[in-house]
Parts: sequence; structure tokens; C-alpha cells
Amino acid sequence: MTLTTYQDLRAKADEVWARVASPPRTLIRVVDTTCSRVVGAAETLERLRQEVQARGLDADVMPTGCLGLCFAEPMVEITRPAGQSVLYQKVTADKVPSLVDQSLRDDGIARDMALASSGSQAASGIPALDSLEFWRGQVRRLMANCGVTDPDSIDHFIARGGYEGLTRALRMKPVDVIQEVKNSGLWGRGGAAFSTGLKWEFLLNAKREPKYLICNADEGDPGSFVNRNLMESDPQLLVEGMIIGGFATDADMGYVYIRDEYPVPVERMTGAVEQAREKGLLGKGILGSNFDFELEVVRGAGSYVCGDETGLLSSLEDRRGMPKIKPPFPAQAGVFAMPSNINNVESYTNVPLIMRHGADWWASMGSEKHKGTKMFSLSGQIQRVGILEVPLGTPTSEVVMRMGGGPPEGRSLKGIQPGGPLSGVIPANDVHIPLEPDPYRERGVLMGSGGLVILDDTNCIVDLCVYFEWFAEDESCGRCTTCFAGTRRMLEILRRISSGRGRLADLELIKLLGRIAQNANCFHGQGAPTAVVSMFRFFEDELLEHVERKRCPAKVCRGLVRYEVVHQSERLPAAEAICPTNAVVRDNGHYRIDQLKCIKCDACREQAPYAIELVDEFAPA
Amino acid sequence: MFSNASHNSRLTPVEPVAGGTEVIARISEMIADLRADDVDLLKAFHRIQHEFGFVPPEAVPLLAGQFRTTPAIIYGTIDFYSEIRTAPPAETTVEWCSGPACLLKGSMNIRRVLEAVLECQMNRASPDGRFGLRLVQCDGTCHVAPLVRLEGRYIGPLSISETVEFARRLVGPEEQGAASHGNGTGGAGRPAPQEATSVE
Repeated sequence: MTLTTYQDLRAKADEVWARVASPPRTLIRVVDTTCSRVVGAAETLERLRQEVQARGLDADVMPTGCLGLCFAEPMVEITRPAGQSVLYQKVTADKVPSLVDQSLRDDGIARDMALASSGSQAASGIPALDSLEFWRGQVRRLMANCGVTDPDSIDHFIARGGYEGLTRALRMKPVDVIQEVKNSGLWGRGGAAFSTGLKWEFLLNAKREPKYLICNADEGDPGSFVNRNLMESDPQLLVEGMIIGGFATDADMGYVYIRDEYPVPVERMTGAVEQAREKGLLGKGILGSNFDFELEVVRGAGSYVCGDETGLLSSLEDRRGMPKIKPPFPAQAGVFAMPSNINNVESYTNVPLIMRHGADWWASMGSEKHKGTKMFSLSGQIQRVGILEVPLGTPTSEVVMRMGGGPPEGRSLKGIQPGGPLSGVIPANDVHIPLEPDPYRERGVLMGSGGLVILDDTNCIVDLCVYFEWFAEDESCGRCTTCFAGTRRMLEILRRISSGRGRLADLELIKLLGRIAQNANCFHGQGAPTAVVSMFRFFEDELLEHVERKRCPAKVCRGLVRYEVVHQSERLPAAEAICPTNAVVRDNGHYRIDQLKCIKCDACREQAPYAIELVDEFAPA
Repeated sequence: MFSNASHNSRLTPVEPVAGGTEVIARISEMIADLRADDVDLLKAFHRIQHEFGFVPPEAVPLLAGQFRTTPAIIYGTIDFYSEIRTAPPAETTVEWCSGPACLLKGSMNIRRVLEAVLECQMNRASPDGRFGLRLVQCDGTCHVAPLVRLEGRYIGPLSISETVEFARRLVGPEEQGAASHGNGTGGAGRPAPQEATSVE
């Protein structure tokens, strides 16, 4: 065993980092994460490497993490030795030669692709990165390294202050580390909002050994992808957070449970754990102390309820991932019936920052009651899909309408689903409320884990509730009748309403099911009716329109609409050709829709928007 | 001979599986270093699925032996996880994202088109076994919503017309001939999908 000190690690890391921080020659960074690979970043990276080599250019190419600007991927940043740095957007592989032609010649800039200037020296005519609406107002603490360092380089992480917090923690007593975390006011970021320090204290005080520390990276809420981004852009931050957590709680073993849908984070976290082990940051006698800790990355297999802490424990125990009955709480009897603690990715990753800069610094951001920053992902009907980090208490409208750009041109905001299918929906006129748990809770909605999904006026609330209930039913583990049968009944009723067979008595039945669900064992069952309850609270008119008048105002619910040819036009042959079921038919030169064949897929209306209209199925003639 | 009798339940007798001994040998080798109570079972599923494309029935008693439990527990666990399959996948599987961002942007219409053109129901194969549709959960690639995935490639944002043409290309030229006389792509001014044009 080699005794590594932090100073040794830092000295070597600084050397490596210097080549990135003040590059001796042109540095080309390519965002290489899930969201950029989806639009071809791997090919861009490969092509850039080829071009640099083929042309014999004096430049280095480096993969980096995600800046959160998913809407602009694949992104490339070109930094010149003089300090000028330009971010380019939508650089697909075919645009690489043009980018290289324009930007690598005498400090040139490829203006057609330039998004922002990010260097110490402004690039003329290109807006500064922090003047972009998406960027202005962000406080990037957790995301400080995202898009800056190479996620696969532990040296980059160390040189940027990584493992300073661990070094400081190791000089303290575990109780003092916990006290520092408590002082900061950090609460669990997974949705339950319970004090992290207090949770850790339960584990520290547990008597039996071994103790386990578990990271819940099973970010199952559809529409949430903040944890994914953090793990694939700065995996070492989570490793450091868990080591500090292990030290503070006297734990022996840690597991990072990552959902199966996230192959890139699995790969990056596995690599990060290996690198940390090589550097003596994991294993026996961490950084010369007498603290031992091991970490293992576990890949899930596709189950939403494994994101419930006790469901996750069952999954680790080689069983069906069914949530357990509490008590005993995990701190008493968790995985393998041993004391365990489970936190979300964002909870652990805040701890290195608290230990590095102190609780006071950390608590300087946020609202009065809720300290720190929080990452949010934006998706759905919004102009700029992406991930950002803002202080807690920032008005929701600031994030959704200004930074995200609001719904597409010409549409209006209808509501926001703040964090997962169990979180409910807030209406558009509540968009001003601060992004923190309390104002959401007052409206019967949960802020959850931070995946904001935006609805606009083309969306139907009943249709969305059908989705939420389908999801809740599909992912129910099957233990509690209130949940597995309750969600099924709820789904049946909602489908009935959306198909035009809704009756007034259904409204009472839904409310009854909503109350019954509170008796479920875990939050999955209890939270299942949240969306439906918020529909009653905020969108009752729209619901009643479905039930009483059999009309879907947004014309989304399939059973309440039909397609009709309202004009004859020259686009109709194209509509006939595109129809997958041959439902657009021609009788004596006139087109009509064969309602028995029509599957209501909208392809014909895309082709002939003037000629074909979506009409109410039950409208009075 | 492959230790499938070593599980410790006398209540659930294990019938030797009538599968190929070669499959049994390969699975046994694959899971030989894994053990019970060490967070290894999911790893075993992934290894086997990676090798065969699904978890074959032969694996169940072998896993029960290796993990010192019953086939019932093993099968129940396999069944619990939606990403672990117990049947071989179709020749070509289109993955359809069920997430909310896709939903709000019209993924149900895409699903109807895929089911109609590929002639298969969600999570089932077409009658001839050529095509499969698989429901997948949101992985946060919502900037290309609504999307489908084919062999690991993401295709989106898709208009409905583009989906029809994508599905017809998959099905093949003979069926395509009947319906392709109309001018196809380009719905109401949507951006072209990232990859749809490159799919054969």
C-alpha cells in the first residue's frame, strides 16, 4: 500500500490540468454525453480527431461533460492559447470540415455555428455565455465541472478542488462532519426533503456492522435527467461525496445503484471508482487515515419502484424490487438487514462542496428556508430543452419562461409537472411560485426530484392523467391492493372518460380511489393519485367538459375526436398515400375518411392541414 | 451434472431443462464467479442477456443453484424487471419512448402508426416474427422528442408522416411499392429528423 497524501495528488493533477486551463495550443472540447451522442456527438468527436490529424493541426481534442444546453447539441468549444474561447452549437460530423476551416485559421470564428463566447477574452460579435437567457441567473456549483473537465480524468477533478472536502473531513471527527452537514441545512434532493445530516446521524448511531451507504441513482421519474447529467459529466463528485458520507457514518461499503436506462453513467461511474481506487481514495487507509471504504456500481434492470429507498434495498438483495414495510427503517435494518443509509445523487454531491467551502458558504445561496442550489431539467413543450442549476426559491416562471423560453411560438403555457408522474401538475397561473418544496406542497403538488415537464395549450390534462395512472399501474410492485388494484381502477375510469363514456358518478369514484390510495405502504401507491387530485383542483372545467359534454377541448383524447375531410384540396392525394391504414378513400373523385379504418394517427392532417380537420366526435351537428 | 439440483428448496422440485447442454454450460461458466448476498443477481441477468439477447429458461434453475434459492424466486425476480426479457427479441425491434415529453408531442400517434404498419402490438412481435415493438422508459433525451430508437440509434423529432415512411422502409420495398406514390415527407414545417433519412 502506498501512502498517498492529498498534496501529492494535487501536484500531479495541477500539472495535467494546466494543459487545459491555459492550453499551450488550441484545445477542442466536444461534449460527449448521452444527450449529445443521441444527435451524433461520437461521430463529431471522431471526425474532429481525423481532421486535426489529417491536416496536421496544432490542436488537442478532448471529450467533456454536458453544459446542460441539450437543445444545442452536439456542442464543441474551441479555446485558443490567447484565451479566446467560442462555443459552437449543432456541430454534426458533416459540419466539422467547415468548422475547422473557419475557426482554426488565424483566430477565425465559424460564425454560422457560434453560440457563445466563453473565454477570458471576448470574441467579437459573439454574445458572452453568461449573457444567454438560458445561462443568466444560473448558479453552477454542482455543475461547475460540467462541460469544463474531462469526465474520465480524476486529475482534472482534483485540480479543480476535488477531494479537498474529503481531506478536510478526514481531519475531523465523524460527528463534526455530520454537524457541518446539518449546519448547512442540506436536505435530501430525491423528493422527500429530509435532512441529510440527521439521516447520517441515524446510521452513525447504529450499533451493528457492516454498515452500508447507498446512492439512489435510479432516476426513474420520466422527464428527469439531472442525475444522469451529473454522473456522466462529473462522476468523481459523487465518488467524493460518498466517501465523505462513508467516513461521517462509519460505513464500510457503498453501492451506487444506477438505472439500466443510463449506460453512459454506469460506464463513467465504474471508471471513476476504479481511478479513485488507484489513487488510494478508496480501499484501505484512505489518504493515509485509518478509514476504509469500498464502492461498487450496480446496474439496475428497469423498475421504477427501485427508486423508492426500500425497493432499492430489495433489489440489492437479489429479489424483486418491492418496497419494504417500515419500520424497521434502513438505518436499523437496511440492505442484508444491516444498518444502511440511502441518499439521492444530488444529496451526496453537495457534501464535497459543503466540506470544501464550509456550511456558511454553501447556505449563502437559496431561500430563507431552503438553502443551496438545485438542478432542474426542462422538457416537453419548451423552446430550450436542457438542464440548469439555480438557487432554491428561484421563481418557477424565471426558469420555465425566461431561461427555458416557455412554450413554442404562438402557444401558451398550460401547466407544469414539477417532478415525476407522482408529483401532480400546477396550472399556468401559479407559474410565479418559487422553486422550493413548500409552495408546491401548499398546492397539493410535490416538487420532487426536479424534472420540469411543460404543458401547453395543445395538451389535454385528462390525456396526461391517463398517462400518469398508466405509469403508476404499470410500475406498481403488486404488494398493496390499494395500489395495484386502485391504480388499475383509476386507469379504467380515466380511459372511460377519455373515450367519451365518462359519467358523473366517475368523479366521485376517482376521489374515493384517491383517498383509499393513502393507505398504500410506500409512496408509489400514496402518490399515484396526486396528478388526478391536482386535475380536480386546477383543471376541473376541462375534466367536466370531457364528462358532461363528451368534448376534449385540446382535441387530444382519441375517443372524443374524429378526422373529417372538410375541403377538397390538391394535397389530399398525399394524405391518401401517407395513411397507414388506407382510411383516406376516394368516392367519385371526392375524398372522405373511412371511420372504421381510421386509427386517428394525424398523418393525413400533416399532409393536408387545410382539407382535413379534427372535429368533435359528439359535437351537435 | 450442472448442479441444478443444489438449490435448497424441497418444495419446488427442479426438472432438468430440456435445453441444449451447450447453453447450460455457457451459462454455468458465465455465472461461476457470482454468489448470493453480494449484489450479483442483476449482474448475472445482464451477462446472460448480453450473450443470448434474453434470459433463456435454462438459466433459471442454474441461477437458483448458484444463488442458493428457488427457481420461483429467480423467475419472479426476472419477471419483475422490464429490461430483462424471457423470450428472444424479434429480428428488428423498434423501441418506442413512453415518456411525458414524447407524449405531449404526439408519441401516441407514432405508436398507432408503428403498430399499424409493422403489424405488431406493443411489447409483442409481428405474426411473422420479423418486427417487434418495445416500450422503453424516458432516458432524458427529450430534446429529440418524440423519438423512437432502432438498434441503439435515436430517431427524432419525428413527425407522423416521417414515422409512416420510416416504418414502411423497415417493412420493405414490396409493401412499400403499393403505397409510396404520394409525395411523402415534410409535415407542417417541422425540422427534419436527425437520422430518419439514413435508415434503410
